[in-house]
Amino acid sequence: MLFPILCTPFVVLSEVFSLLESNEAVTASFCSKNFKRLLRNHYQRRTPLMWQACMVDYENSRQVSIANSGYEKKGIVSSTVHVSKINEALNEVVEINGYKTEFWSEFLIIYFEDQVLGSKWIVDYVTTLFNIDVRGLAIDRCSTWAIDWINKRQEKPLSHFGLLKPTNDVSNADESVDYVLKNARSSELLGIDEYVSDNYRFNGKLGPVKELCLWHGHWVTCDSLMNFDAIEIYIGRSRLAVSDLNSFLRHWRAGGSPRLHYLEVRFENKAVFENFDEDLEIVRTNEVGTYPVSYGELVVIRSCYSVQRLDGIRALVSCDHRRFYLIVQHEKTSN
Amino acid sequence: MSSTEQGTSSAAPAEPTTAPESAAAPEVPESFYYVHGKDKVVHKVSAGALQHSALIHGMISNLGYTEEQAKANPFPFENIDGDILQMVVDWCNQHKGKPTPPEDTNLPKQKEKLFDLVLAVNYLEIKELLTYCCKQVAMMVKGKSPEEIREIWMIPTDAEDEAAEKEAKKRAGKEAAGETAAAAGDAK
Repeated sequence: MLFPILCTPFVVLSEVFSLLESNEAVTASFCSKNFKRLLRNHYQRRTPLMWQACMVDYENSRQVSIANSGYEKKGIVSSTVHVSKINEALNEVVEINGYKTEFWSEFLIIYFEDQVLGSKWIVDYVTTLFNIDVRGLAIDRCSTWAIDWINKRQEKPLSHFGLLKPTNDVSNADESVDYVLKNARSSELLGIDEYVSDNYRFNGKLGPVKELCLWHGHWVTCDSLMNFDAIEIYIGRSRLAVSDLNSFLRHWRAGGSPRLHYLEVRFENKAVFENFDEDLEIVRTNEVGTYPVSYGELVVIRSCYSVQRLDGIRALVSCDHRRFYLIVQHEKTSN
Repeated sequence: MSSTEQGTSSAAPAEPTTAPESAAAPEVPESFYYVHGKDKVVHKVSAGALQHSALIHGMISNLGYTEEQAKANPFPFENIDGDILQMVVDWCNQHKGKPTPPEDTNLPKQKEKLFDLVLAVNYLEIKELLTYCCKQVAMMVKGKSPEEIREIWMIPTDAEDEAAEKEAKKRAGKEAAGETAAAAGDAK
């Protein structure tokens, strides 16, 4: 069935555009320059659009997704692949505006000789079409250029950032991690899942950010932990000793890390935990600590200790040879 | 010619029928209006059903017709085909006094008439039906490539757009030259 959409009144055209999914709108924009202009005008009038662009530049995955405002639902709208991967015998490759393209599983793949150029091109295309900024960025160690590129192309900072470890490479990426820690700014999530060497250190400040996740956090010292400005902190493969955690609790009691709500430390090796330092005035409690972490599950801690800040705010603490938790009772105290 | 509980259609204005009886509430006579499309077939529709159309509702409010006047003066919609108007009337009758559910099963199914239906519904300002129709239009391109979308939605290619633009410019140029020549002739 055919439908001459350009013969419909403006109200109808606008209503149809507003019902399109983001991937459908991007694909439709490749129909003609005129149609792209109509779509762009539509999205420019519809500000603020509750969509967020997310860029992925990870190994062979170079794509742009659109997420809803809550970041729960994401869908790929365009992707770029190296021209060497074209298989015209198997795939239907069509040239549009001088670019080789292929429609695959509800979005358009655009083939580029230069992968960096391709990534930049699809991000620019989608963000211009929808008149939105890039809010999410997920990269591998080879794509740290994207941090600087995004910082320069828009005023609004990222909301979600992730540095992901390679699939088949366990070598260290000290330089990339260092670049990320020094340059990546993100308001909601800063996550780093990359290998670094045993002697790697970073003592700069991190944050402010809502959630900080360091999966390979053996490099995190007590001093660096005190420099993190985050609401939720997760440190995996930690080499912090119980004495470091005592020092951190002392810092927290004195008013340090004031925005912290949740800290989870997973030890790389079994920690030897017997008791907390006496000067912390930490006491055993039957209370159960709960915290709804951003990644979904409700964390529950039992057999807790209670520790109080000098301003009266309390926190529940739990520690065994594998994990340390601190859940600050901001609301309970104020009630 | 179809006949529904709330309305009937005929070549001439039909006799008003009484509204469905209600066991509890006292019977309130329902007012009816009459509309016809390009085919001049008159459809009798209750005021309640016509409330879906902002255009007709506005006309009714402004005219303040009595039952007799309404019968003698059907609203003419010469730009709407008879079968399309019938679909719209049926839908309005089915949804009299109630909002459209998100998955409405009582909606016009004749997809080949979708374009005419969209134009009619837009003209009659029936918001809920327009949204449904537009959903159907949007669904047409789900999972389609740019070439397929271009074909389904009959979008001209860049080359066709350029050719049309050139043609329009040429025509405008000719018209302007004609007007200049005519003006020069008038001046002589």
